[in-house]
Amino acid sequence: MTGRVLVTRLGHMVLVVLAVMTIAFFVLRLATGDPARLVNPPGTPENIIAQTRAQIGTDRSLPVQYLTYLGDAVRGDLGTSFRGAQSVGRTVMAALPNTLSLAGLAILFSAAIALVLGALAAWRPGGLFDRLVLGYAALAQATAPFWLAVMLILVFSLRLRMFPAIDMSSWRSFVLPVTTLVVALSPVLTRTARQSFLETLNEPYIKAARARGLPNWRVFAVHGVKSASMPIITLIGLQLGFLLAGAVVVEAIFNWPGIGKLILDSLASRDFPMIQGGILVAAVVFVVMNFVVDLLYTLLDPRVRAGQT
Amino acid sequence: MRAIPSRSSRSRSRIVVVGLALSLALAACASDDPGADEEPDPATDEQAGDTTDGEPAAGDGQAVRFLMAENFWADWRPYSSTALSQKRLERQIYDYLVDFPSGDLSQPEPSLATSWEQVDDTTWEFTLREDVVFHDGQPLTAEDVKASVELASGTAGESAYALTWAPAEVEVVDDQTVRITTEEPFAPLLVELWWTPIVSAAWLDGDESRLQSEPNGTGPFRLVSDDVNVKTMERNPDYWGEPAQIETLVWEFIQDPQTRLNALLSGEAHAIDRVPPEHLETIENEDGVELLGVTGIESVNLYVRTGRLPIWDESADFRRAVNLSFDRQPLVDNLVMGSAEAAGSFLPTNTMFYQEQQPPFTADPEAAAEALAAAGVDDGGPPFEIWVAEGFLPRAVPVVEAIVAQMQEIGLNPTVVTSDVAGLIDDAFGEDGTGAMYHLSWASAGDPHQAAAVYSSAFAWYFGDEELDALVDQGRTTLDPSEREQVYAQLQEHMWEQAWHVPLYNSDFTMAHVSELEGIIVQPHSFRTDFHRARLGN
Repeated sequence: MTGRVLVTRLGHMVLVVLAVMTIAFFVLRLATGDPARLVNPPGTPENIIAQTRAQIGTDRSLPVQYLTYLGDAVRGDLGTSFRGAQSVGRTVMAALPNTLSLAGLAILFSAAIALVLGALAAWRPGGLFDRLVLGYAALAQATAPFWLAVMLILVFSLRLRMFPAIDMSSWRSFVLPVTTLVVALSPVLTRTARQSFLETLNEPYIKAARARGLPNWRVFAVHGVKSASMPIITLIGLQLGFLLAGAVVVEAIFNWPGIGKLILDSLASRDFPMIQGGILVAAVVFVVMNFVVDLLYTLLDPRVRAGQT
Repeated sequence: MRAIPSRSSRSRSRIVVVGLALSLALAACASDDPGADEEPDPATDEQAGDTTDGEPAAGDGQAVRFLMAENFWADWRPYSSTALSQKRLERQIYDYLVDFPSGDLSQPEPSLATSWEQVDDTTWEFTLREDVVFHDGQPLTAEDVKASVELASGTAGESAYALTWAPAEVEVVDDQTVRITTEEPFAPLLVELWWTPIVSAAWLDGDESRLQSEPNGTGPFRLVSDDVNVKTMERNPDYWGEPAQIETLVWEFIQDPQTRLNALLSGEAHAIDRVPPEHLETIENEDGVELLGVTGIESVNLYVRTGRLPIWDESADFRRAVNLSFDRQPLVDNLVMGSAEAAGSFLPTNTMFYQEQQPPFTADPEAAAEALAAAGVDDGGPPFEIWVAEGFLPRAVPVVEAIVAQMQEIGLNPTVVTSDVAGLIDDAFGEDGTGAMYHLSWASAGDPHQAAAVYSSAFAWYFGDEELDALVDQGRTTLDPSEREQVYAQLQEHMWEQAWHVPLYNSDFTMAHVSELEGIIVQPHSFRTDFHRARLGN
């Protein structure tokens, strides 16, 4: 990647983040709900409401608020929560690893399950196991994550006392929320893996490998897994947004201290700085991760590099 | 034809594998619990709800986790808001001049004031307790009381508490004696003092940001960690009274009632707030957990805004027709599942001088039709919106939907608008609101002034009813209890006749806690939740 391309890409990233910040800022202001009224009870005189507005800065014009927000963000200051004196930056950054770990583990286990089930299903297409796997995929896809989460808590937390019902306190805490996300994510990955295995097994080089006497398990384990991984990885990239959205619901049910729950709780009180901070950091992480992947792509694949230069 | 995986996609696969490995590392970093493999335990830290190694002995190192249903809206600037969640938190950190530990408003008991006397109709003298220190080590003096009361009552600056206070001036007689003088006789003075935390004068004069973030009280707990949704307190070892048994007290906001219930039943929380009616049976049938509640402390009404539905403002007959269009008791029995009492007055049932009004409002289609005809309405009148918020008051949306269906049966033209709390509050009190009625609640500390003042000219629910306004004033300034009772009897009767709003029911307030948590107090007149004398038993 040349310097010019790099600068262009960085410029695009800044534009994307700026667009996200702008949309989040104005959509929040367009939504009903005056934060100053929420700090005070119904019936509070207007002079008290006005005083609160002045304290939290919502009495200024929208352009002034917007420019102040942008200026502060450029300096790394995401502001202070409307609900107290907490630093938005510190609060959001504390929540970020919790969301990333949840999503990351869900991806890891979903991919592993998809590869194993996909391979076993493709071993004998139309056989009993294949039908069972397709049945699982259909059932899991039809299961609402919030319902599954509550059921898992009822069985494994309240009855069997195996895992915590809420919070992120130890490795046990990950089991139920990750399971919920895995059940949501794995069906589409499993079907894709199965299809990919089936296609791979019809490739001439697979037939040649078998003709050379290579054992079936080795054909699957070496060639099949390698080929099936590619579309799964592509699909994971496409599902990342879905996964983060699902994590919001899961975080709320399991009281998971991640960015999704932070934004959800902040919405109830129209805590604009906290919502904006959460969205901004999530957008930056997303954009940066994509950029890093593309950058490494460029470094590792000469054809991409050639295409860009 | 399938594309052969390129080198770039192989590279991407390596990158993703590295990313997944990183997520495992993040998971390990995110969990910093020393007792990571222990069984779930309710003792938690302020952010992640970390578990501890086993239950501490009673009174020594005890940690209690309480899950709140209400957002922590406000910051720690004293008297800057009347947000209920903030008042309940402040109860643990601050002290008050007087206390009503039994909940009986005729039985005040000493707290920071050891004695008091009413000098004349507008003046009270209080003697302060000695050897009381704030959490920062400064001793409590009369100057602190002066600064606190004058600020709270609105005499020394803007105060949200001025809504129910009367302007007051405080004379410092000596270090341990103050004399509070109100502009006019003020009957609920002791009750107001029960809700007015005493703050350090030096703190009030100091740095604004410190005032916002660091509460400095004299109470049994002091704040040690202040996160957006989690407030962690620890026992004040220098407390002037009996020290708290609990070492660490965590108040945490969890919006979803099902999540709060799960946490209680799995042993990850010791107490939970606002148990919805549909969860009561589950808790009753479960060993090791108990319900704790008070009945009828919160008026849930359809509050009407002046000017939004002109015929409402102009016609008592129209208001009567609306009030006779539906039944309250079935709402209470079937939708609120018995966790309320049908409204018999505009004051909550547990309010001092409460009197049930006759006849009660019940569904009477014929009388409603007659009232509509008397109001000159032959087509049900103009359309109007009834706003209701999801996720706060129990079963709010089905309640309003049932009311609207019954209203429509007699020809009225209401529609339901469902919102979240923020949207509803904004529509109700913003200049551009479109709603006419709002499903909301109002609680008081038991004194009728706090309950009735919301309908006076000081509030947005006022309809220009001068007689009502005069009665509210009279109730506030009448000191003789029997005369005051008569004033409030007249006020309740007048309000029932005029029916400026639509009374529905007085809802219960129910918490739940693990049985081993003893001594937690919920006041019968209020949402006061006191952990001072709570302890974890065996």
